[in-house]
Amino acid sequence: MTDRRAFGADAHRYLDGEPFGELSVEERAAADRLANLARAFADRLEPVDAALDEAVMAAVRRRGAVPVGHGAWHWVVSSHRVPVRPVWVAALAAAAVLVLWLAPRRPELSRSGAQRVAAAAAPDTVFVRFELVAPEARSVAVAGSFNGWRTDALPMVRGAAGIWSITVPLPIGEHRYEFVVDQTRWVADPTAHSQVDDGFGGRNSVIVVGPKGLVRS
Amino acid sequence: MEPSDGTIVRRVLDGDVEQYRFLVERYREQFGRYALAVVRDRDAAQDAMQEAFIRAFDALATCRNPDRFGAWFFRILANQCRNVVGRRHEAVDLEAVDPAGGERADAAVDRAELAATLETALAQLTPEQREAFVMKHVEGRSYEEMAELLGVGTDALKMRVYRARDMLRELLGGMP
Amino acid sequence: MNGRGIRWVVLAALMAAPGSLAAQAGSIEARLTARGLPAQLAQEVQRIASDAVAQGVPADPLADKAIEGWAKHVSSERIVSAVRQFAGRMAEAGAAVRAAGLEHPSGNVIAAAAEAMGGGLQPDQIQSVVRAAGTAEEASPALSVATSLTAQGLGVKQAVTIVVEAMQHRRPMSQLLDLPSVARSMHDQGMSPGEIGNRLLPPHGDDAGGPPGDKHDRPPGVPPGPDHPAGPLRP
Repeated sequence: MTDRRAFGADAHRYLDGEPFGELSVEERAAADRLANLARAFADRLEPVDAALDEAVMAAVRRRGAVPVGHGAWHWVVSSHRVPVRPVWVAALAAAAVLVLWLAPRRPELSRSGAQRVAAAAAPDTVFVRFELVAPEARSVAVAGSFNGWRTDALPMVRGAAGIWSITVPLPIGEHRYEFVVDQTRWVADPTAHSQVDDGFGGRNSVIVVGPKGLVRS
Repeated sequence: MEPSDGTIVRRVLDGDVEQYRFLVERYREQFGRYALAVVRDRDAAQDAMQEAFIRAFDALATCRNPDRFGAWFFRILANQCRNVVGRRHEAVDLEAVDPAGGERADAAVDRAELAATLETALAQLTPEQREAFVMKHVEGRSYEEMAELLGVGTDALKMRVYRARDMLRELLGGMP
Repeated sequence: MNGRGIRWVVLAALMAAPGSLAAQAGSIEARLTARGLPAQLAQEVQRIASDAVAQGVPADPLADKAIEGWAKHVSSERIVSAVRQFAGRMAEAGAAVRAAGLEHPSGNVIAAAAEAMGGGLQPDQIQSVVRAAGTAEEASPALSVATSLTAQGLGVKQAVTIVVEAMQHRRPMSQLLDLPSVARSMHDQGMSPGEIGNRLLPPHGDDAGGPPGDKHDRPPGVPPGPDHPAGPLRP
């Protein structure tokens, strides 16, 4: 029959290898016992077989190069030339965008079709920040059309007040996604532009990313 | 002097795929014990690690800070390990665990039996507690290192480690 | 030539182009099994994809949809049903896109058109957007913006008008792509969808005219007031 017994603060400091106050004989014995168990366990761990390296490289070679574009991954990121865009832009900027939008266009500024296409294609990727308030969650990730719906490839980091976040480079255009909480629950992003039917009876959050990133208030 | 993570990542992204091997060797050595300790099944741990390296390669273009590839890769590995453990759904029979009662000195008990005891009890912890305990007591990392790798604050990590210790003490019992 | 003959001609024409829709179809099963889908499900999706390609529908979005369903732990039956539905919608959307003059539309445009259709745009509205865009590169984002604005409450007609007129007035695509964000920002500031729609409609009449605000029927000499689009700014 075991008692519900927790270690006191001093025992924890002792186990952390930090200066501690007073420890009773029993506490110290229990702490030492746990530490010994851990050591025995650690000692028995043999290193992972180096043959793993070749197995990984064989798979990597089959791919030829780091996958870009086509299908699930749409990364157009070059390793040394990622354009950095402002991620959070204040209401000021939203209004500024609107002014530009409404400013009348002078006929002589009109462009040829080819020039318009070139202008549209120029800035390829933009950093977009995803955030979710989830203080009770143990893990949060974002999964969507930009990463092949992989639920473990974009884990978010927990910050103050239980706000999880991640900043991801995305190609401009439309993206569909959801958050994955505790690896099991799919959760919408209330700050997304819209929610759409995902075809499975659920919803996906949708954002449309322009070259300035997501203009938010 | 060996090239830095950032250098290797950039070379791989530029097309020199063979360079990836340096990262694989480096982090197999650094994180192998973690995978084995958390997953507890040798084959499953190696599979998890292999899968993690391949996923990391596939996602390499999304590694925001190539100089910190290790921490980025660690998260992928930790998630893979969790997937593997989650799938196995072991029913742990604690009756089979002999907590080596209070009277016998640890030195007299077979080390392997001790290790097995802890292994079984670790299965009862939550993933965060298990991972934190392994990083602290099996890998011997400082809280600052753990914070770097997990992206979690040291206060939260201490809580996880303390709860893990308390749980293990309760599970293993046998002491006054 | 009967229907089946035409289908074979289309298929042959598609297979001629490398990286074509047909080339996509061949690798679907492999992609799916690599992501963990069971063989039977992968084969079923492959069958649907191959049929779809023969009708000019891109296969990759179908594979993406199956992968999405699998990631969400949806049942195989439901995945198959969703993929079929999406294929059907893309077939219809593809017809609209081609009718608007894009003879060999990319998978992206067709998928965007299908999403637009799902979002409430009618085939003739899709045609309007595609015609105004002129190229596949511009049609795809234009359709996405129209779909988003519609979903954000602006109403289909208004959303389509905003996008079509913008392109007719030679707005750069970068500005169009900002619209959903701007609309969301305005919504967060408390504006109704109707107000937002009105503000996003480009000014009518003489484009070489004066500063914004002059188009709102204000008597001459009266300065722009609080409903001026550039302000007031809320904190």
